[in-house]
Amino acid sequence: MATVGIKSTAYCLNFAPELALHYGGTPSQERHAKPDSDYLKALPGQVQSYEEAAGYAPNKTYIGAMSVDELAAAPAPWLEHLGAPERYGRYGEIMPEDEFIGFMDICDVFDLIWLDKDFAARIREKLAQDPVMGESQMARLEAGHEAAEIAEAVEKHGALPLYLDGAVVGCCRRAHDTDENLAAHVMLENLACKASGVLALLHLIKNSGLTPGDIDFVVECSEEAVGDTMQRGGGNMAKAVAEIAGCGNASGFDVRGFCAGPATAVITAAGMVASGVRRNVAVLGGGSLPKLYMNSRDHVKKGLKALENCIGSFAVLLVPDDGTEPVIRLDSVGKHSVAAGAAPQAITSALTYEPLTRLGLKLTDVDKYAPELHNAEITLPAGAGNVPEANFKMIAALSVMKGQLKREEIPQFVAEHGLPGFVHTQGHIPSGVPYMGHARDAIKAGSIRRAMIIGKGSLFLGRLTNLADGASFLVEAPAQTDGSGSTAGVTRDEVRELLLDALADLAANLQKN
Amino acid sequence: MGKLTGKKLLLLGERDGVPGPAMAAVFANSGAEVLFSATECFV
Repeated sequence: MATVGIKSTAYCLNFAPELALHYGGTPSQERHAKPDSDYLKALPGQVQSYEEAAGYAPNKTYIGAMSVDELAAAPAPWLEHLGAPERYGRYGEIMPEDEFIGFMDICDVFDLIWLDKDFAARIREKLAQDPVMGESQMARLEAGHEAAEIAEAVEKHGALPLYLDGAVVGCCRRAHDTDENLAAHVMLENLACKASGVLALLHLIKNSGLTPGDIDFVVECSEEAVGDTMQRGGGNMAKAVAEIAGCGNASGFDVRGFCAGPATAVITAAGMVASGVRRNVAVLGGGSLPKLYMNSRDHVKKGLKALENCIGSFAVLLVPDDGTEPVIRLDSVGKHSVAAGAAPQAITSALTYEPLTRLGLKLTDVDKYAPELHNAEITLPAGAGNVPEANFKMIAALSVMKGQLKREEIPQFVAEHGLPGFVHTQGHIPSGVPYMGHARDAIKAGSIRRAMIIGKGSLFLGRLTNLADGASFLVEAPAQTDGSGSTAGVTRDEVRELLLDALADLAANLQKN
Repeated sequence: MGKLTGKKLLLLGERDGVPGPAMAAVFANSGAEVLFSATECFV
């Protein structure tokens, strides 16, 4: 059985309420359709401050400043019980918006981001305090431009203003005069995704105790399309991210699959490591600028804070299994085939029951399931339900159908095998992978033995197919005995049989001679 | 004759709920005409 070690993980949030207000998909479309709407008037009054976002329990859980168990025990609603603000956690950080604007400039190699020179000077001091910011990154921060230059770029050349506290502190310029694929709003989306991905990779390198030069390969799995009019979506975001992080020995490529992208990318990367094609692979995803404030219309209508104010990112480092780190089992990969159908029950069966049955395991043998881990305080007011809980109920119902659970045990199954959603509605970002860091910690601490990561993607949004997709895999302790007789390594019985076979061969050969 | 005979349907499915094609399949023999069926995602 092929296994791959999870060496380290990183999870970051980039607090970006001004980017959300001006360039989030929902407010942006509303501004074009109904610029005087009550929603747009009310939205600026219902934003979180950085301190509120950094004290919000789900955000702290995402960056590893709280454990999942601590989140589950935290008083709810979390929005009304803010804790002490934490910028840094075990996995990463919540970067304030001013620094993120400066960091986008650091990640910009075509001089598209222009910063006001006073702002650039201020931000240089702040960014230099970040423990993952190295000399090579800081050297890329521009000195800045006169305010008049930025105003001219915005007014005459299609640049988009970048705001902080309502004031213009820079702009994102278009990368081509006529190519809409390189328009300023596309470049801003891609640079935001790139910068958030770089931040996660820098934290991953720090968390793993490696140097940037140790990274062999990068697989990127966001939902942005990188390219011009001749090859829209050509990629390769992975190598662009690796360059800024100083990973000079790495190459990379992108994997796309909507929200199933991260799980698929992890499986792809694990296959490369297990086969020896790559020494190690960093799988990472930057976040989505357009999804900021995606459901804010409903949040505003209900008088709630607009919580979709952070661009999320993650990174995991996969290495050969040396028996010391929690592993991904490549024989546990779940596949949602074309013929499986689009019904939620069919998808759940294909991603959970089928791979587990193949391994001789029951649905109840998985300690924790990690499907899409959206924060219900974001989705419930928007009418999108409690997504992770719906998934846990579906898995529990499937367990009952398969005779592996009694009907009355469903609530207990959901409580024990599920976990509270704690991730921003950033599409691919919540898709199972945010639990990999917590699962790794819990397995190392011995509090769980096995977790299943599940990603599901809405392929139909691209209007080329009505299909969805999904992928899943198990994370376990290394060389684990599961109690059913099979193990992550070779069993004692198998070793005994091999020895007996070898002795029988030896005896036969001796008799021949 | 079902009560949907002659009706025209616009079906909007939700990714984590009931997808559009599943609803279209349910209404296939209802006598109604499915004008549009799609699944959306809000997360």
